[in-house]
Amino acid sequence: MTISARSAKPFLLIAPAAVLLGVFLVLPYINIGIMSFRNPGNGSPYAPGFTTGNYLRLFSDSFYLVQVGNTLMIGAITTLACLVLGFPVAWQLARSQMRFRGLAYGLVLSPLLVGIVIRSYGWTILLGNNGMINRTLINMGLIDRPLALMYNSLGIVIALVHVFLPFMILPLMSAIQGIDPSIEAAARSLGAGRVTAFRRIVLPLAMPGIQAGCILVFVLSLSAYVTPSLIGGLRVKTMAVSVVDALIDTFQWPFGSAMALLLSLTGALVVLIFARLTRMKWKAN
Amino acid sequence: MTEVSIEGLTKDYGSSLAVNGISVKIADGEFISLLGPSGCGKTTTLKMIAGFEEATAGAIRFDGQDVVNVPAEKRDIGMVFQNYALFPHMTVAQNLAFGLEMRRVSRSDIATRTARVLEMVQLSGYADRYPRQLSGGQQQRVALARALVIEPRILLLDEPLANLDAKLREEMRVFIRDLQKRVGITTVYVTHDQAEAMTMSDRVVVMFGGRIAQHGAPADIYERPVTREVAQFVGQVNILEGRVVSAAADDRMAVETVLGQFAVRGIPAAASGTVTLALRPEAVELAGPGTDGTQATVSASYYSGSLVDYRLTLDNGQTINVQTFPRNRWSAGDRVTIKVDGDRFWPLGASA
Repeated sequence: MTISARSAKPFLLIAPAAVLLGVFLVLPYINIGIMSFRNPGNGSPYAPGFTTGNYLRLFSDSFYLVQVGNTLMIGAITTLACLVLGFPVAWQLARSQMRFRGLAYGLVLSPLLVGIVIRSYGWTILLGNNGMINRTLINMGLIDRPLALMYNSLGIVIALVHVFLPFMILPLMSAIQGIDPSIEAAARSLGAGRVTAFRRIVLPLAMPGIQAGCILVFVLSLSAYVTPSLIGGLRVKTMAVSVVDALIDTFQWPFGSAMALLLSLTGALVVLIFARLTRMKWKAN
Repeated sequence: MTEVSIEGLTKDYGSSLAVNGISVKIADGEFISLLGPSGCGKTTTLKMIAGFEEATAGAIRFDGQDVVNVPAEKRDIGMVFQNYALFPHMTVAQNLAFGLEMRRVSRSDIATRTARVLEMVQLSGYADRYPRQLSGGQQQRVALARALVIEPRILLLDEPLANLDAKLREEMRVFIRDLQKRVGITTVYVTHDQAEAMTMSDRVVVMFGGRIAQHGAPADIYERPVTREVAQFVGQVNILEGRVVSAAADDRMAVETVLGQFAVRGIPAAASGTVTLALRPEAVELAGPGTDGTQATVSASYYSGSLVDYRLTLDNGQTINVQTFPRNRWSAGDRVTIKVDGDRFWPLGASA
């Protein structure tokens, strides 16, 4: 094989994926970018000519900036909750030789087996004012009035955590499986208690999994649409819901595009900062 | 320094008895090996000494103090693991500092002690490397340094050389042994490699099926094995049946074997009937055919440089393995004469 043929091989291997991404991700993004600078239309999605007005409107209206903040907050809390809830599960799945490991693994994946619309409706049945949780609590005499579990950020976070937990657990599990148990034993033999061994040894070594899981869940939370729109209703809107409103309900394609880009860019920025902060020097070459 | 005393130590996993009431005393500064095939309980014993496994019964005393209920991190042991178990996210210096930090040693003392131990294991220039940037042998020495820098009461090594290539393994044997003598630390070494156990240890504890089959100096184990199992595990051996004929001089008994009649040591005076004898391959000497001794035919020879191994077939069909220096060479089909000194036979008890 000639040298040039050999060096072409890696490109051939990534070509199918690259073409797919190019056609269905990069081109649409360019299109959205152009659209975000178009003039708003009157009776049509957009009008001829270009403007920066869409962005000016976005940045001058605190309503939208608060919404960006809320969306990021919901994403961050969902991510943190998935991490805290998912770590012990991932640990157990990775380390124990329990008998029902296969079953437990299936249970972890089970949220992904139900369609997202059905699952979100399921949560409305549980969380609503007349829902199962409030009913039960009232019947037990623990509360007088229903707790506000729906049409707020809390409800959205609860439902999102349920959906995205597998995306946290799976990378965590593979990271933990990669940590040799004798490394922990070594830390213990050197005088570290369980807590110290966890903090100084296990946690840093699980960091690649924590990083991957957090980024996945965070990005998925930002872009989630069905769950926030069903659980948040008209009262709490995330950016993704507002983007869809603008594009489909009020037919403001340029403004919707500007919002969509703002959402993507702030999300990317947060991920970048997070990756930077959790950078692992020992992993670099 | 520390004297270790193990009494009736037992580990019951419910489905199996991994360690079955073993007792052994390890003197201050002594290097002992736990030797045995996999599943004999040697690693479980080590883990119980380290505190990673709970003992079902029995006592482990460090200088008379029972540590069975002391957690691993409070036992003050240094442990070297088979796969080194270095912290991959820490540099060599940070790996060494970890145990000292746990002991709240001051920053400046950590620096001096780390530097001193790194020099001891000949890795002075490597303090800022990460483990993955080191070769297997270097990682091994870092693991050793990390265990020693805390100046533990006892050093425990779990098959530390198993992952190294043959040449490096032999170098490390000498290295570890020398270091251990210099530091003077009580050491327990687990291995399934009899050559490793014999060259390194003051005393070898041979384990089978969770019990101690024999313990003693390497030469005791090799030359005076108590059972056929021990004899076969510790090196090559010919097992011969013999018939006690009569008492001979100097507490010896005259025994009739396929190789002739010999005056054999170690047989109780009351013994009669048949005895099982061990004969090491290198205890046999070969001479040209027709000389005084038992005649045999060479059926195979294996040349390994410093030594030659022969498989011989006696005229009655029995096989004898012989190891000699390659001074005289025979090849398959040659007739040879077998010469043995009666003192080289050793009687074996029945296997436990």
